Amino acid sequence: MKIVVVYQSLLGIYGDQGNSRVLAKRLEWRGIDAEVVFVEPGTPIPDDGAIYLLGGGEDAAQTAAVRELKADGGLFRALDLGAVLFAVCAGYQICGHSFTIGENDEVREGLGLLDVTTVRGPERAVGEVLTRWKRPSGGEYVLTGFENHGGYTTLGPDATPLARVEVGLGNNGDGTEGAVSASGRVIGTYPHGPVLARNPELADHLLELALGHELGPLERAREQHEGLRRERMVFVRR
Amino acid sequence: MPARRPLPDRLRLGVGTVAGDAAALASRLLGKGSGASIRGQVLSTVHPGAFASLVKGRRIASVTGTNGKTTTSHLLAAAIRQGLGSDAARLVTNADGANLHYGIASALAKAPKADIAVLETDERVVADLVAQGSPEVLVMLNFSRDQLDRNHEIKFLARSWREALAKAGEAGPVVVANSDDPLITWAVEKARRVIWVDTPSKWSADAALCPACGSILTRVDPNPDEPQGRWDCPSCELTEHAADYQVREGRIALPEGRVVDPRLKVPGSFNVSNAAAALAAAVELGVSVDDALVGFRTVEAPAGRFATASFGPTSARLLLSKNPAGWAESLPLLGTPTVVLAIDSVAADGKDVSWLWDVDFEQLVGKHVVCTGPRAYDLAVRLEYAEVSHEVILDLADALASVADQPQPIDLISTYTPFQKLLKMAGLR
Ligand SMILES: [Zn+2]
Repeated sequence: MKIVVVYQSLLGIYGDQGNSRVLAKRLEWRGIDAEVVFVEPGTPIPDDGAIYLLGGGEDAAQTAAVRELKADGGLFRALDLGAVLFAVCAGYQICGHSFTIGENDEVREGLGLLDVTTVRGPERAVGEVLTRWKRPSGGEYVLTGFENHGGYTTLGPDATPLARVEVGLGNNGDGTEGAVSASGRVIGTYPHGPVLARNPELADHLLELALGHELGPLERAREQHEGLRRERMVFVRR
Repeated sequence: MPARRPLPDRLRLGVGTVAGDAAALASRLLGKGSGASIRGQVLSTVHPGAFASLVKGRRIASVTGTNGKTTTSHLLAAAIRQGLGSDAARLVTNADGANLHYGIASALAKAPKADIAVLETDERVVADLVAQGSPEVLVMLNFSRDQLDRNHEIKFLARSWREALAKAGEAGPVVVANSDDPLITWAVEKARRVIWVDTPSKWSADAALCPACGSILTRVDPNPDEPQGRWDCPSCELTEHAADYQVREGRIALPEGRVVDPRLKVPGSFNVSNAAAALAAAVELGVSVDDALVGFRTVEAPAGRFATASFGPTSARLLLSKNPAGWAESLPLLGTPTVVLAIDSVAADGKDVSWLWDVDFEQLVGKHVVCTGPRAYDLAVRLEYAEVSHEVILDLADALASVADQPQPIDLISTYTPFQKLLKMAGLR
């Protein structure tokens, strides 16, 4: 399986590349070959990847990334071919119809991959988040993460929230967090950095989407994940 | 060591005008307190206006940047002390690393007669210091993201430096700047004069976009000396400047062509870069290169960094790393087969530990890591995915006790808050 980290130097300031490490190892530990490809502006984005990752970044980086992605076209072709896109923070914002940058709220056109729009909110949301995700395969799973965003995102009719907020701000304070496209194959979320390192079930969901079949539980790293998740949940709920 | 020349030749540091004023101010701040309570009174009564008053009239060299401020300040202070010889008491410095308005004011209030100051200065205080203290020399080491939860401040801070330097104009400081850093290069564009120091950087992830125009930076003119080439903006004028001082393979090339080996007591190639910046500043202030180098070698454990400390049966070499760039520098220094890594995430550490995934922990394969501190599990997950052998012992003292059977001293890296705890536990603070 090919995992493509898109423009790490522009959109990757919060350790977001960690998501690619988590995905690749969780495949490898199950005996499935994984290849992580880092693509930087100026190099064509391959359209034969299975999962594409977009991370967090500054205003100027968002604008540059949208410009480069549109000019390149590879990501759009890959999604037409059935690839999965997982976008966090600024990467999530640029997937929408539009977002704003700078103190003068200049509107920038996004990639149009998710039915969401983002504008600058009244205050920056910085801190731990805890949300409840209804797994498509059934059951509820608590997602833990760290959000740091000035933009507030509103969902349109063709997007559904990824999760419900228990602690934190989420999309815009309306109790929703993240967005999933109608196809289920484009997922955006605010918790940045290696959010998959804190939520291995979400990592496995992305892998299952890309593989087209379910994966069994994984013993490797289970203890560490459980320790981390227990510690974070106690911390944010106290 | 070369023979000492007479003071006026060694160091063109004139007698300051500050002593009387500062003494008067300090005594006003202190009130009539005496003895043991004076220190406490200074700490509790330094008011906001004190900073502006206390920085006036002294000859100031300021050191700022994301990483290396404390060590560089210690190196520069040691160089100046060496240059001053028997007059070393004329120098004041905030050696403990308290680098906000308050910490700087406290240090200065305690040394009213000192007319020369080396001030480690937090990035958020630089603009005020330039405006109110008219420093002679300002050292800018590097400017990468520090704490992720305040990452959005980076550009704002760089703009504040730029505006302060532009406003100061001809009265502004001579800037010693890292030519490798695009954001610093942009921030000092309007400085009166810049001395460029070229350092080999290990960390370039923060430097992808032009701070002036937002274009993607490119690398040009690769050569054997600099295989990566120098950075350049294809869309505007911003480009890497030719260096006055150059750090190459642990040595410093001086503007006049001589290459010196600083033979520092503090470890790591990044400290050679810090020494190059301190050297440029010291020479600008009138210290000879040879005096500066002698002074550098007196610096061993600035504010506890790189100190070897005892914790019962365990002894540990203490390394401090505050951000991914700092960890990239520290990890290669780990020499022992078992190491202790301490992670916290209170405000002073940065509340977000996502940076763990930007650090190449894979290089620790073959070692055993004791993960400690409140965020030990975040590190454990990271190490598991790096396939590095590890265990979690949340309590610092327990973690140290667990390695008592290992060859001593054990190498230890810590984020800010556990580091302060360790210094206290070891009686170094
Ligand atoms: Zn430019």
